[in-house]
Amino acid sequence: MEYLVVSALNGIVHGLLLFMVSAGLTLIFGMMGVLNFAHAWFYMLGAYVGFTLTRHGGFWAGLLLAPIVAGGLGVLVERYMLRRVHKYGHAHELLLTFGLAFIIEEVIKLFYGDALVSYQMPDYLRFAAFTIFDTNYPFYRLFMGAVALVMFVILYLLLAYTRVGIIVRAATYKPTTVEALGHNLPLVFMGVFAGGTAMAGLAGGVAGAFYPTGPNMAVDFGTLVFVVVVVGGLGSVLGALIASLMIGLFISFAVGIQVSLADVLALVGLGDWARSVGGLLTLKLQTIANSMPFLLMLLILLVRPAGLMGDRQ
Amino acid sequence: MRLTRPFLLAIVAFAILAALPLVLSGNLLNASIKMMIAALFALSFTLAMGQAGMLSFGHAAYYGLGAFAALQMMRAVEQQVLWFPTPLIPLAGAFVGFAFGLLFGWFATQRSGVYFSMVTLALAELLFTIAPNLSSIFGDESGISTIRGPSWGFTFGPDNQVYYLVLAWVAICSLLMWGFTQTPLGRLALALRDNEHRVRFLGFNTHVARTLIFAISCLFTGVAGSLLAIANEAANYTIFSAQASANVVLQTFIGGAGTFFGPALGAAVMTFFARVTSDLTRSWLLYQGLIFVLIMLFAPTGLGGLVAQHAQKVRAGGWRLLVGPYALAAIAGVLLIAGLVFTVESIHVVLTDAYAAARRSAGGAWVPYKLFGTSFLPNSLTTWALPIGLLLAGGLLLPVARRLTMAAWREVTAVPKTDDGAVSVPARSSEGASA
Repeated sequence: MEYLVVSALNGIVHGLLLFMVSAGLTLIFGMMGVLNFAHAWFYMLGAYVGFTLTRHGGFWAGLLLAPIVAGGLGVLVERYMLRRVHKYGHAHELLLTFGLAFIIEEVIKLFYGDALVSYQMPDYLRFAAFTIFDTNYPFYRLFMGAVALVMFVILYLLLAYTRVGIIVRAATYKPTTVEALGHNLPLVFMGVFAGGTAMAGLAGGVAGAFYPTGPNMAVDFGTLVFVVVVVGGLGSVLGALIASLMIGLFISFAVGIQVSLADVLALVGLGDWARSVGGLLTLKLQTIANSMPFLLMLLILLVRPAGLMGDRQ
Repeated sequence: MRLTRPFLLAIVAFAILAALPLVLSGNLLNASIKMMIAALFALSFTLAMGQAGMLSFGHAAYYGLGAFAALQMMRAVEQQVLWFPTPLIPLAGAFVGFAFGLLFGWFATQRSGVYFSMVTLALAELLFTIAPNLSSIFGDESGISTIRGPSWGFTFGPDNQVYYLVLAWVAICSLLMWGFTQTPLGRLALALRDNEHRVRFLGFNTHVARTLIFAISCLFTGVAGSLLAIANEAANYTIFSAQASANVVLQTFIGGAGTFFGPALGAAVMTFFARVTSDLTRSWLLYQGLIFVLIMLFAPTGLGGLVAQHAQKVRAGGWRLLVGPYALAAIAGVLLIAGLVFTVESIHVVLTDAYAAARRSAGGAWVPYKLFGTSFLPNSLTTWALPIGLLLAGGLLLPVARRLTMAAWREVTAVPKTDDGAVSVPARSSEGASA
């Protein structure tokens, strides 16, 4: 029971964090058709901005500046790079952001080195929120979840109830019509791109203080984010939310389960055979917890290629 | 087969490659082996990308599987479990590459466009996370190593013999891949890239066709992986890393995915670039990324596309107009590169632990650092006047060079002097040339 509750909580928080990053990615894609490969690298940038600010200015200043820096870079990227190559098609835009990811990572490595940096939350946030079954549950996890939830609510209200939100949603479906109605479409694009990258930056600033902050964080997180949008359906924010939570829960439960395929086969009397074969059959679920999202993705591709909430292609 | 100009060029290129071991030795010969393998990898990647428009971000998966298939085969031969001639070991890589290409390709080609890219990336990442846990196949974290067995009268000890083995396989595979593009399936690949819907309406099963084309690409990737395994006699699970998949994408598009041999050119150039610069600086990946982004921004057809555009103009005699502006652009480029490299390397040196230690021992004062055989003081204005001056001069010169280049290109393209009449290059190429 303790395992169930703690794993579920951890999974939900991790899922919400994934959602913070994938929501921006899926919004940008839905509107502009651009798959921003560098999206997770904006998350990394946010974490490093936060780290720098904890040394000069404080943790909260870092949280404030992380989305501003990431969003600002997003504006420059959209205005001076993506817009330039738009005429060559979406694959070209994808490749450009792919190269950009490289540059962001290498510039960060240039300044901060190849090792992990110790980005820490302030001490007054380091306490147990509550105790369940003798386990102290860290407050910071709840804080991360809360930031993601607040962001989701703001995003939803913004998209659903404001004029800007209406224009953004309309531009997702019929960009040319929106432009014909006199709206500045390039500005809307730039705004959405900046918003998405700012969200990734904020997520990095918040999560970097809890999870390790280092040069590999973008690649590791980035592939997960891609899995989320494939599972959820590209362009669907709700799909991204469901997929994020699913994947967060999948990983957090798999980490604690010591079952292998051989144990399952033992139920039908094939346990000894499976153990003699070894290899994949004796791998414990625990050791391949990090592979679970990819297996989930394959499953989804088999039964529902468009993703949970996606339209067909 | 008609002896067309590209075909003759290819023969000349392979003849030069065959003669290289006579002049090269040691380190350079080894570099050439790696360049040829990278070229084959890029060509096989382009088979899926350039031909069928399937941008795979996880081709390292099939590269790695090919390498491990070859290593397991070599190990079996070494332990005398079975007998198999070393020169044919890449067949094992080809088989495994094809088999996994079919399996993974079946999943990945469910979707097209950017979805496909993400699925291939995730599949490679799946292998990357599982491989270190399957120690019987992939070894543990240190991987597996073995030795090349002698066969067919060769010992495969000296680099020379490995070189010719690799060259033979690269030549055969390049020819086969070129041949594939001429087959009905190869032509279908082009149609799939341009309009999949239409191909489906014509009655083709596009999913099967895309899976097959992807698997054939993976087959040749497997061969490239096996050749790497034969050359290195070892591999570990990092061969599946996203970095390895990323490299082939970078190299292919720097070379230009639109031409058949462009990717091979890009892969060879960038492998050599990596080999030279990675010894000199730790920031070489940054430079590689910058080159890639600049090419994507200003020369979207890549090096191969630039060469193709210019070959046409040079034949038409247009080069006389272009030499001047290009020289100016080159000067601007050199100034900018020098300024950038100086800045990056200075930052790099000043932020190292060694420099921090030197500062501490000097009581916190700024101490000079060595770069390019000279000492610089980080807090002096004269140190930074150098890169700022270089960048300013280059930055001022570049727009001028760009304007002149565009004017020259307009003139060149305005008077078509080619044999086949008025083939004018579209306006976009003038931007491409100014990069």
